Amino acid sequence: MTVIHPKMTDQSAKIRAQDVCVYYGDKKAIDHVSIDISPNYVTAFIGPSGCGKSTFLRCFNRMNDTIGAAKVTGLIELDGEDIHGSRMDVVQLRARVGMVFQKPNPFPKSIYENIAYGPRIHGLAEKKADLDVVVERSLTRAGLWDEVKDRLEDSGTALSGGQQQRLCIARAIAVDPEVILMDEPASALDPIATAKIEELIDELSGRYAIVIVTHSMQQAARVSQRTAFFHLGKMVEYGPTSEIFTNPIEERTKDYITGRYG
Amino acid sequence: MSSPALPHDAGDAPQTRGPTRTPAFEKRLAQRYRAERNFRRIGLGAVVFSVAVLVFLLGNMLMNGVAGFQRAELAVTIDFAQSGVTGDPVSLAAPSAVQTLEMQGLPDVVTFFAEEQLGKDAAAEIAPEGWRDVAAALTADPDLITRSQTFYLPTTSALAGALQGEGPAELRALAQKLSDQGKLGRNWDWGFLARSDATSPQSVGIWGALKGSMLTMLVTLVLAFPIGVLSALYLEEYAPRGRWTDIIEVSISNLAAVPSIIFGLLGLSVFLALFPNLRSAPLIGGMTLALMTMPVIVISGRNAIKAVPPSIRDGALAIGASPVQVVFHHVLPLALPGMLTGTIIGMARALGETAPLLLIGMRIFVATPPEGFASPATVLPMQIFLWSDEIDRGFVERTSAAIIVLLVFLLTMNGLAIYLRNKFEKRW
Repeated sequence: MTVIHPKMTDQSAKIRAQDVCVYYGDKKAIDHVSIDISPNYVTAFIGPSGCGKSTFLRCFNRMNDTIGAAKVTGLIELDGEDIHGSRMDVVQLRARVGMVFQKPNPFPKSIYENIAYGPRIHGLAEKKADLDVVVERSLTRAGLWDEVKDRLEDSGTALSGGQQQRLCIARAIAVDPEVILMDEPASALDPIATAKIEELIDELSGRYAIVIVTHSMQQAARVSQRTAFFHLGKMVEYGPTSEIFTNPIEERTKDYITGRYG
Repeated sequence: MSSPALPHDAGDAPQTRGPTRTPAFEKRLAQRYRAERNFRRIGLGAVVFSVAVLVFLLGNMLMNGVAGFQRAELAVTIDFAQSGVTGDPVSLAAPSAVQTLEMQGLPDVVTFFAEEQLGKDAAAEIAPEGWRDVAAALTADPDLITRSQTFYLPTTSALAGALQGEGPAELRALAQKLSDQGKLGRNWDWGFLARSDATSPQSVGIWGALKGSMLTMLVTLVLAFPIGVLSALYLEEYAPRGRWTDIIEVSISNLAAVPSIIFGLLGLSVFLALFPNLRSAPLIGGMTLALMTMPVIVISGRNAIKAVPPSIRDGALAIGASPVQVVFHHVLPLALPGMLTGTIIGMARALGETAPLLLIGMRIFVATPPEGFASPATVLPMQIFLWSDEIDRGFVERTSAAIIVLLVFLLTMNGLAIYLRNKFEKRW
């Protein structure tokens, strides 16, 4: 059974998941998980490899739809609206819930085009001048503007790994989402690039609800205010980050954060 | 910790040398390097052999082909002012000008001047259709009718052979005499690229077949490329995985391996049954070859699509691109270079194909270049096949020249495709 810390019950929820199960064919990857994601905090999902934390994250913007064998049951609400409901369009959902992946995946186009692509397909900025504003604002928020402002026409793939990942973050915030999902965004980066990403998450946290999956407990401790610990497809414990790391209730959580397994 | 008992341990002697520093290991190391060297030599040998074969083939073709771009010509000066042939710019520009000139006796005029200047024997050796060159010059420049001009007219193939030392002795002597007078010689024959098939090797040209090939290839490309690319995209990106998709996949792979003549039978029984009056037309030829080319494009296209990293798709989907936008904005541009490679291979195969076209009647004598997609035509490989079948010795060189034209066409087509591929190629 999931342990939810007492302070967590009164918070408002940007995303509310109830009894969510995910199946890959016959295999149950997520087993009856219920969670409320706060709009004001960075929420971290931690847990050993294969515990289903990434799978669960991908439910929030229905990226599991792209995997034919995956089946999601249960209720997921964004601002009280069922994301699987008939009134919710998946394209619109993904514009509202952005995602950053484990491996930086800029499009093999120019830096400018990488950022402008989202606003353009959603018709958020029609004129070149408007797009220029969006590109500059997104890159500035992602802390990349000063590094790339003189070479916006260069290919996005020519940047360093850390810069590519910040480009992907800029690409996600260019469509002005409400939530940003990050799936181990720093796991392919060196410590300096990682520090920059963590700094960036901190800066973005007031503006967007952020959910980050990480296998690094230090990272979770540094960037998040809420932490959920997953194990074998179940959410074991969910609470304020400081509580989870200093005063876990469940034995398994304690074992994991003290490095007993993972 | 005790040292592990390795198979090559010699007795109980304590191991002072590591397992990679024994003589046995060094021997194996030498063996490995030897294998490396041998493999490199064999590989180099294979490359050298194939290059040598290619050089021999191309060299042989080029030597013969150069002669194929030349022809034996007799110099005849015609003074039109005295010829009795009349004409004004208007009538000479009319489409029927050549017939008008023929009725005015232009062939006889040419024969008359030739007999006067070269003698009766030599004049008889001017190709029967030789006067047409004069007619063509007249229609191109009507002012000529008031002047006199020297024409280089094609000889009969008998005299052309005699010039190269073949045939009866008296003809050889005549050729020698005319050649010494400077009235007979082998000249560059650029008209070869502008004329069409003829009965005499002296007056044949490749343009008819070249144009036929171009029209046929155009039909093939226009049909096979979009259908192939769209099929590949649908099968890779949209089709639900299942038994039917598997069956379609296997069928397409098999289709790519079907002997080309079978496609000819299909073209004969389906396309020609539907459009019976389009026999020998580039349209039907192109449709038949498109059937053959399409599976190659589908297979290479699917491989190119598979090579597009899934992370690019995820990235596009995650910012809210619809599946169609993902395909056309991201997958297709990245897969296009690979698709073009497949198209090059398929089109090159189609260009060299004769068997299916035999069956739909493109094995015909085409004396005028095809006017459009619906008029009777032949193609380059078919022309080569037809000429190589001729008895006249003059056709041997013409065949080689036709092969050179075919190869140049092929290289141009492939060069264009490679240029396009490199232009679209992107790294990620």
